[in-house]
Amino acid sequence: MANNKNIKIESLGIYLPETVLTTSELLSQCKHPPSLDLEKITGIRERRMAVGEYAVDLAVKSAENALKMSRYSAEDLDMIICTSISKYNRKDEVDFEPSTSMVIRKRIGALNAINFDINNACVGMLNGIYVMESFIKSGAIKCGMVVSGELNMPLVDTSKQEIRHSFDRQLAALTLGDGGAAIILDKSDSDKYGLHQLDLITGAKHNHYCYSKPSKRGPGGVLITKARGLQRKGAEHFPFYLKKTVEKSGWTMDDIDYGIPHQIAVGVIKRNIKATNRFLGEKIPFRLLYNVERVANTTTTSYFIILHEFLLNNTIRKDHNLLFVGGGSGMVIVQATYTMDDLPERYISKFGTA
Amino acid sequence: MKKIRIESIGVSYPRKKFWKIGSLSHAVRAGLSCLKNSNYHPMDVQVLINSGIYRDGHYAEPAFSTFIQKKLGINTEFQGRRTLSFDLQNGGCGMLNGIHVLINLILSGRIYSGMVISSEANADKKPDPNYQYINSGAAVMLDLSPNSQIGFGNFVFKSFEKYMHLYSSFVSLAQKYGRLFIEKKKGLEDAYLACVQPVIKELLDEENLSADDISFVIPSQISEYFLNKLPENIYFSAEKIINLTHQYTDTLTTSVFLSLKHLLDKKVIKPGQKVILLTVGAGITVGASIYYF
Repeated sequence: MANNKNIKIESLGIYLPETVLTTSELLSQCKHPPSLDLEKITGIRERRMAVGEYAVDLAVKSAENALKMSRYSAEDLDMIICTSISKYNRKDEVDFEPSTSMVIRKRIGALNAINFDINNACVGMLNGIYVMESFIKSGAIKCGMVVSGELNMPLVDTSKQEIRHSFDRQLAALTLGDGGAAIILDKSDSDKYGLHQLDLITGAKHNHYCYSKPSKRGPGGVLITKARGLQRKGAEHFPFYLKKTVEKSGWTMDDIDYGIPHQIAVGVIKRNIKATNRFLGEKIPFRLLYNVERVANTTTTSYFIILHEFLLNNTIRKDHNLLFVGGGSGMVIVQATYTMDDLPERYISKFGTA
Repeated sequence: MKKIRIESIGVSYPRKKFWKIGSLSHAVRAGLSCLKNSNYHPMDVQVLINSGIYRDGHYAEPAFSTFIQKKLGINTEFQGRRTLSFDLQNGGCGMLNGIHVLINLILSGRIYSGMVISSEANADKKPDPNYQYINSGAAVMLDLSPNSQIGFGNFVFKSFEKYMHLYSSFVSLAQKYGRLFIEKKKGLEDAYLACVQPVIKELLDEENLSADDISFVIPSQISEYFLNKLPENIYFSAEKIINLTHQYTDTLTTSVFLSLKHLLDKKVIKPGQKVILLTVGAGITVGASIYYF
């Protein structure tokens, strides 16, 4: 029986590796360093780099952090969805079977959970929420975890070897960083809080703008991006859907406190703000939060790594209305509207202020 | 109680030697066949889930479903009707997992129809000798059943992590283009057999049914050995277990649905019958559901 009460983020866990790699250090490691000023163009100063850890380790550590502040124990979880893109779970190997969610399930001891992996590029975690929402609303499950661990450095390593010039299509791989995120979802007590709308649209006609696969030049995986085309198409379509999602939530733009965009690059976020302003015919009245300059693009986990940071520095508080907006290769556009409950207070009391 | 039904089913049968095709072609052939048999138009597919594991080119992103969506011409632009497509992977149980997800999306009121599609192929120039799955594709279109007696019943998925080490597959990136490897350890099929019984029991208990009420069990066509041992493990008579290994050897995710299509085409399954769909996969994960015809 469908229950239309909102679902909410009951708990959040983040894991960022300690090692920091600056953009200038990264460029100095390139076989043919691009002549353009990557830091100036992208705004990315540094990123985290996992050393001696693999994608599944990042996912497990963030899952354990999420369980630390949750009222649910691992055995209480009814479902685990892993949405990692980079399944580098051993050196030079990308895992297919068993599913990464199965490995996470075992390592955190969630032995009552059903599990599967979802792959939908950078919108994976939000896609996982979309799926889990339907299970919670249909009454099939009570609570579950959406988790992702992104080890992007192997793609960066290949691009360091293979980039030949400043317009190389592997250049976007240099904007990546490592990180893990996990959220526990359950039903909200009140419809005032939680997830109001979550819309995902795939424009498959444009799936050639960004892809990742094994390199045909040598060992390793590559990320090929036609950045201009990707950004142009995104900017052409997402403002319309953004407006529609806000309207479906019964909100106006003035009701939104903060926007949480996908963390690609500072320049891209600013261009997308301009595109939205152009579409709306006025300046958006809310602030878009970003930390891409410090953690780079952590793909699926980026929305929740930024949420973690702005919860800890007390920017996002109870009753704040948030707009998640972004996209991914495929090409997928995503928007979600969310009202914060007491998560910020609980988060700070557990992990302290930044 | 509302039920979700298989509105149409399409498959792309295994092809040999010169006629062999890749995973995208198999998925598209299965999808086209499914749409041809359906009363729905491609634009009615609101969610497209691809649950195949092995794909052409070993793409990590975008979701392989986007390639299928594009080839099938399902709402490929952002204007007009819209579709969400994504990949779902859970070894040999993926397609049943995908159906479970789609059913919940329909029951929660998110969508009214969707398609789960799956295909398997190894595109490596020198395939790993352990890769023995036959290339194939299968697709099902799901919607709300107009008859509350027809459609899917409960689903049961159980994972048995103590057997996780028995089966793994990965793409090695140590060489250009990558290469798929499969590691199967001794005792895998016995472990599958040990795991299916509690799943079948729980499913029958949830549905208040006994083995006598079930007309057929359609299992993953793992091997002759697995299918011969299965009846005694789940306490079903051997004639109720569908064994098509002489026609379609193990095709991984598509296996159960190739068999289902075969039985429907041969009119073996009659209205009013109850059939168990039983999948097994790496993990070990076992998934099962009852379909009321």
